[in-house]
Amino acid sequence: MTHTAPPHEQALVCGLRDGDNLAFQEAVRSFTPGMLAVARFYLDEAAAEDVVQDCWVAVIDAIQKFEGRSGLKTWLHRIVANRCKNRLRASKREVPLDDSDSLEPDLAERFNARGHWQLPPRLKFHESADTLMENGALNQCLDKHLSALPETQRSALILYEAHQHKSDDLCNILGVSASNLRVLLHRARQKIFLMVETFQETGEC
Amino acid sequence: MLKCSELARIASDYIDGELDTRRNLSVKTHLMMCKHCRTFIGNLRASNELLGAHASARTEEAFLRKIDERVAEALSVRRSKKTDAD
Repeated sequence: MTHTAPPHEQALVCGLRDGDNLAFQEAVRSFTPGMLAVARFYLDEAAAEDVVQDCWVAVIDAIQKFEGRSGLKTWLHRIVANRCKNRLRASKREVPLDDSDSLEPDLAERFNARGHWQLPPRLKFHESADTLMENGALNQCLDKHLSALPETQRSALILYEAHQHKSDDLCNILGVSASNLRVLLHRARQKIFLMVETFQETGEC
Repeated sequence: MLKCSELARIASDYIDGELDTRRNLSVKTHLMMCKHCRTFIGNLRASNELLGAHASARTEEAFLRKIDERVAEALSVRRSKKTDAD
């Protein structure tokens, strides 16, 4: 299926094809965060940054062959993923995947042997995301807990929630099965849920 | 009937609409009867939204400028090659 790019993206692609510096600066700012999230799924921080830099240089030529079958974001993320996979192959390393139970131990403890809540959620998170975002301490706490997540969970979560990839695309980019992706997402979300709950109840991170 | 712990295990699949019809219905039935799980699902949704809104992958400006520099250099090399060929 051919992807219909929004007009702004078409203009941006034209600018990139023409080798326009400003178009590159704009694209670098829009797409680098997501590209880094993909690279960090596979590689450590320093190697991930190297790959993303090299990708942008490669894009100067590669964009001439961009046919718009997918969106620009997905296309860029695939380039990053392929380069990361090549690096891993060269070093014969594999991405460790946590394939275990989808329930977080800290949440699992809150059910009794019959599977009923023993420590149910006490508070409802009433405030909207926008209101909560104005809370600086909460933002800091989110950053802290996001960085404590395993790389694979963090990348999957960021790419799904903040970069709004569809599951199929994401499985393809990260090279994981659909069920693997579900486990990664659910494990990460539970940890963030537990963090927000503690923060709301105690005001502490 | 679905247990609360089982619901918690598949809560993300429910929120993302990834469950088959039968499982989806069993979650909905459970939620009608269980206040705690309704709060849990509501809170999990809220924390997911919060995360989406949080600029989670904030990138250092210094790193972006490093990319700008490398791209600008590569572009000027390319331009000069093109001029030589013309």
